Amino acid sequence: METGFLKKLINIIVTKDNEYISDKSDEELVNLYTEIGDENAFDEIVRRYANKIYGFALRITRNSSDAEEVFQEVFLTLTKKLDTFRGESKFSSWLYRITVNASYMYLRSQKKHESNISLENYYPYDEKGTLMGRVMAKDWSSRPDIIIFSNEALKIIDKSINELPESYRTVFHLRDVEGLLNEEVADILEISIPAVKSRLHRARLFLRDRLSDYFHEWRR
Amino acid sequence: MFMCKDVVENIMGYIDCELDLQTLKELEKHTGDCPECMAFVNTYKRMLEITGKLKDKPFVTPEIRNRLRILLKSKVKPA
Ligand SMILES: [Zn+2]
Repeated sequence: METGFLKKLINIIVTKDNEYISDKSDEELVNLYTEIGDENAFDEIVRRYANKIYGFALRITRNSSDAEEVFQEVFLTLTKKLDTFRGESKFSSWLYRITVNASYMYLRSQKKHESNISLENYYPYDEKGTLMGRVMAKDWSSRPDIIIFSNEALKIIDKSINELPESYRTVFHLRDVEGLLNEEVADILEISIPAVKSRLHRARLFLRDRLSDYFHEWRR
Repeated sequence: MFMCKDVVENIMGYIDCELDLQTLKELEKHTGDCPECMAFVNTYKRMLEITGKLKDKPFVTPEIRNRLRILLKSKVKPA
């Protein structure tokens, strides 16, 4: 154990330059921090994840001051619990899970409950299974990029995501905004992969409709 | 018979290239004949392009980062 510690220390001293920390994997940074208390390693973890954690907390709480409370709580928890990270899942998944838990705990303490309505019956087709007259009239897919990717359109989609019920919102954010895999989202939220897919599917249908309404209105 | 409903319910598998060949053929045939579904698929794909852009949105301001730094310094005793 003593030699392991010394080796690590020597390794840091020898390789210490601007590059040494940014090249490390998340897991290596965790080891540096928990085993020798390397503050730079912790700073690098903060640098890598601050935006993701704050963004995710903001998505769950939908309020910037609540999100900051959660954000601070997550990194405080991290300083206390980093040495309990066992590498059973990816470090990022572990961190996202801490964020979900901290967000729920915070919302509960603030008595901010959200009725979690289901979107399971949300679909664009009629009882006969056809889309007749429901999509083409509002087809916006060939609008120029300058309109589709305008700041206003981005704001609309962001606002629409926040209209989703919480359980759909978290899945959508992790999967389509953060770009995680179904398996990772399932692991973070502790739900099944079919549940991830089903929530993502309904969330996307809902958002596509919202965007269609927006671009349709815009044309007038 | 392959309906608009089947296009909608298989759209994720279609986007992720996870459909079996038979379903893929039927979906593409239906979409080729049905302008509603063509519009549905096209707007769905465009939507994914838009949501992909949200990822790079900067969230944490220097002020937020600084408040975190101060908090951690005050609460965490060096080991
Ligand atoms: Zn159709």
